[in-house]
Amino acid sequence: MSNEIKTQVVVLGAGPGGYSAAFRAADLGLDVVLVESRKTLGGVCLNVGCIPSKALLHVAKVIDDAKEMASHGVSFGAPEIDLDKVRSWKDSVIGQLTGGLGGMAKQRKVTTVYGYGKFTSDKTIEVEGEDGTTTVTFDNAIIACGSSVVELPFIPHDDPRVIDSTGALELADVPEEMLVLGGGIIGLEMGTVYSSLGSNVSVVEFADQLIPAADADVVKIYTKHNKTRFKEIMLSTKVTAVEAKEDGLYVTFEGKKAPEGQVRYDKILVAVGRKPNGHLVAADKAGVNVDERGFINVSNELRTNVGHIFAIGDVVGQPMLAHKAVHEAHVAAEVIAGKKHVFEPRAIPSIAYTDPEIAWVGVTEREAKEQGLNVETANFPWAASGRAIASGRTEGKTKLIFDKDSGRVLGGSIVGINAGEMLGEIGLAVEMGADAEDVALTIHAHPTLNESIGLAAEIFEGSITDLPNAKAVKKKK
Amino acid sequence: MSDIQQILVPDVGGEEVEVIEICVAVGDTLEADEGIVTVETDKASMDIPAPMAGELTSLSVNVGDKIKEGDVIGEMKAAGANEAPAEPAPAQEPEVKEEPAAAPEVTPAEAAPTPVASGGSEVIEVVVPDIGEDGEVDIIDVLVAVGDEVQEEDGLITLETDKATMDVPSSHAGIVKEVLVSVGGKIGTGGVVVKLETNSGAPAAIEEPQAPAVQAKAEEVVPAAAPEKKAAPVPHHPSAGEFKATGKVYTSPSIRRLAREFGVDLTLVKGTGRKGRILKEDVQSYVKYELSRPKANAGSSVASGEGGLQVVAAKSVDFSKFGEIETKELTRIQKISGPFLHRNWVTIPHVTQFDEADITELEKFRKEQNVICEKQKMGFKITPLVFLMKAAAKTLAEFPVFNSSLSDDGESLILKKYFHIGIAVDTPTGLVVPVVRDVDKKGIYELSKELLEISAKARDGKLKAADMQGGCFTISSLGGIGGTAFTPIVNAPEVAILGVSKSDMKPKWNGKEFEPRLMLPLSLSYDHRVIDGALAARFSVHLASVISDIRKLVL
Repeated sequence: MSNEIKTQVVVLGAGPGGYSAAFRAADLGLDVVLVESRKTLGGVCLNVGCIPSKALLHVAKVIDDAKEMASHGVSFGAPEIDLDKVRSWKDSVIGQLTGGLGGMAKQRKVTTVYGYGKFTSDKTIEVEGEDGTTTVTFDNAIIACGSSVVELPFIPHDDPRVIDSTGALELADVPEEMLVLGGGIIGLEMGTVYSSLGSNVSVVEFADQLIPAADADVVKIYTKHNKTRFKEIMLSTKVTAVEAKEDGLYVTFEGKKAPEGQVRYDKILVAVGRKPNGHLVAADKAGVNVDERGFINVSNELRTNVGHIFAIGDVVGQPMLAHKAVHEAHVAAEVIAGKKHVFEPRAIPSIAYTDPEIAWVGVTEREAKEQGLNVETANFPWAASGRAIASGRTEGKTKLIFDKDSGRVLGGSIVGINAGEMLGEIGLAVEMGADAEDVALTIHAHPTLNESIGLAAEIFEGSITDLPNAKAVKKKK
Repeated sequence: MSDIQQILVPDVGGEEVEVIEICVAVGDTLEADEGIVTVETDKASMDIPAPMAGELTSLSVNVGDKIKEGDVIGEMKAAGANEAPAEPAPAQEPEVKEEPAAAPEVTPAEAAPTPVASGGSEVIEVVVPDIGEDGEVDIIDVLVAVGDEVQEEDGLITLETDKATMDVPSSHAGIVKEVLVSVGGKIGTGGVVVKLETNSGAPAAIEEPQAPAVQAKAEEVVPAAAPEKKAAPVPHHPSAGEFKATGKVYTSPSIRRLAREFGVDLTLVKGTGRKGRILKEDVQSYVKYELSRPKANAGSSVASGEGGLQVVAAKSVDFSKFGEIETKELTRIQKISGPFLHRNWVTIPHVTQFDEADITELEKFRKEQNVICEKQKMGFKITPLVFLMKAAAKTLAEFPVFNSSLSDDGESLILKKYFHIGIAVDTPTGLVVPVVRDVDKKGIYELSKELLEISAKARDGKLKAADMQGGCFTISSLGGIGGTAFTPIVNAPEVAILGVSKSDMKPKWNGKEFEPRLMLPLSLSYDHRVIDGALAARFSVHLASVISDIRKLVL
């Protein structure tokens, strides 16, 4: 069976970027076709990424919290884990969200075509679906084809004991010995889940700190708190070989923390990054330039080198984050609808949903140094937060980075429980050009973890009373 | 723990680095890791931290010095057993005073330096001195680029005001580190033009290494106080310059989007919100202003029918078809004054009243006085113009309507109680009108001297905007050249202008016979919205009678 559809806008890929672009374009009165290779909308994020990992992290958190309660006088005993039930609960979370998206697409009269879409010219996309080929003729296209996990040549990826983030989320079993290859956000989140479920998890990271993009002082707090969670954290170390044997995967390391000889693991999670899917949509047939790595270069209107073809999300560059893609999606749809909009954020937040969480937005301290910015940082240690003490989690801290002269908030990092939920305020401050005084004068509710942001601003302002004040007026003796 | 410890430069990631700031002073008590000096590597600037807590007993480097790993930069005395607090305190402000807010007290005559808060003493900001304009004016030329070496008084940028163009001179000699303005931009009094590295702190690019002893030069130079000038305001936000450079304007995302939609460059919009934040209204008023502002192009204003004037634009003609031609650009003054003359010509209903004044006696008196002037070596000659100015001031006092301006809404007259008279001066680059103040209060000698000075200034192109403001009435004298009469254009917002042509000996009937009298032709153009014909005739007659008999000046 072969179909032909003509549309004003076709969106290739229905991840957060793709469906947002499709919905926004539809809401602006355009005719939209959304092409998706999975059987459900939502892309990696909803199906095998952000959302299912958060479901499992919730499980991990409850297990950990229950265990933690023993020292506060409430004991629950050892948890009994029914993996099948955990898995089906996670799947129900996914189902609820992707189903919701399907409904919203219908309500907006967005035509969804399921199948693998590729360009055949700068005006047509051919979609190979289960029930035949559909040719979509378009006026404008938005490429939102995302990214996939990076595989390494010396690792037997075809061995079922080698898994990526998708495999990890499938939760086939809880291995006894697990190696997480890559100490970034994804690796640590999945490492957290499996360690809470009972695995002995080791982490190997090539850089000299976990989550290399975050500031060292923040990551240090995380690492210190997780000393007992992980069996080994091997920094400045890489894996050079993996030998698959009957009784396990034997890994050879090299570097600063490399153990002698081979080490046996039951499973290896490879989480060394993601690569853009630019080469997978036959973009060359439309004349769209794709670089060697698979990225598609776009203008601040998200246009590719072909004026009526746009690209958004992971495929246009770092950071590969759903919320970045969504905002790019809106701009691309609005530009197609004739609006003079551009994508020019000042800050894109990043969050590791680990325990404790690590969250940062705007410039980090390291970036400030690299860019030669004249900054002053203010750190509020959670040891001085009543809410943190009452929750038994005082290891956190809230750090704000200010322009030294104007006092404007340039960025901030938070490490601690719920750090991710608190980050929004700092992002808003950066975008609004708020300065320390604005943040300090905003009344934050007490006792909250969130008030630590206001208190950090007070440290900069010199009006802090919950800590010794380094900027207090010196009394003459 | 030993008492005295040397402070060594740690690994600074390169060969030699330059000291760009001294953060502390000898005798200061430092925390461990507190920055002592700031050095600049090719990647970033970094602080050399104190190796321990204690007192700084000596410091052997200066700003501009080059240091490398292992160098000793000073010594410290340990502070007993006192440890720094367990939780590191947020980076403390160094004790050095860097308060940029001190700047507005200064009254600069030339561009005034303001020390850059971040850069240490040798990089200074050169700001626009009082240009006599309240708002911002156009930058029509940038005369320097980053890396240029400039001398004190060298022009940095050229500004265009309503009245003239002027160069903003450099307040110091040095190397241009950063140019914060561009052609087509706008700047006002106190706006930062360039960041200048004064020669004391010049980088290695300068051939002969300068002694670091002169490092404090920037602060030693106290700008000379200029009388009668208001203090230059500081830029509307201390960090405005910096944020301009990085494109980080102070506003919210919705306003950035609004600006995008209207194609507004937010770095050109002045924020009126708290601390200079750009508000929605600021973008709106900027767009309104840009749409309503007369463009400095006489041709286009005709074509576009400014002020509701619908005229056919002149057709372009290829003159070379008819013979040899040469294209010569209008002078800058012509380009500026053109649109204003044009506006005045089409918006003011002009009437010109002609008259003659008998200056036989005046000339006799004047020549006698000039003999005395020469004998006493007073250094100036009395010209007829000075008497015309005195007579005009006297007559303006009698006819206050001539010493007025229409209010903006055209509903009322603003009468002036002072008598400042503009004198049209022909210069090689075009016509300028310097203003002589309080003509009624000054004597003939004083006016003669002032006229001499102001004409010289005009011809040398050294007039400041303030020298050309505040006029009540203008005199345009072509008497030295010839002609019998002409119709001058009123110099708005003034309401009248006196044209003077060449005096001529004429036979005048004295009742019995014709007598040779030296007659001076006067052409008085006036704004008919303000002045009636009869009043103009009376003014003219009165003026002529004062000139004819200058004893009336003292009545």
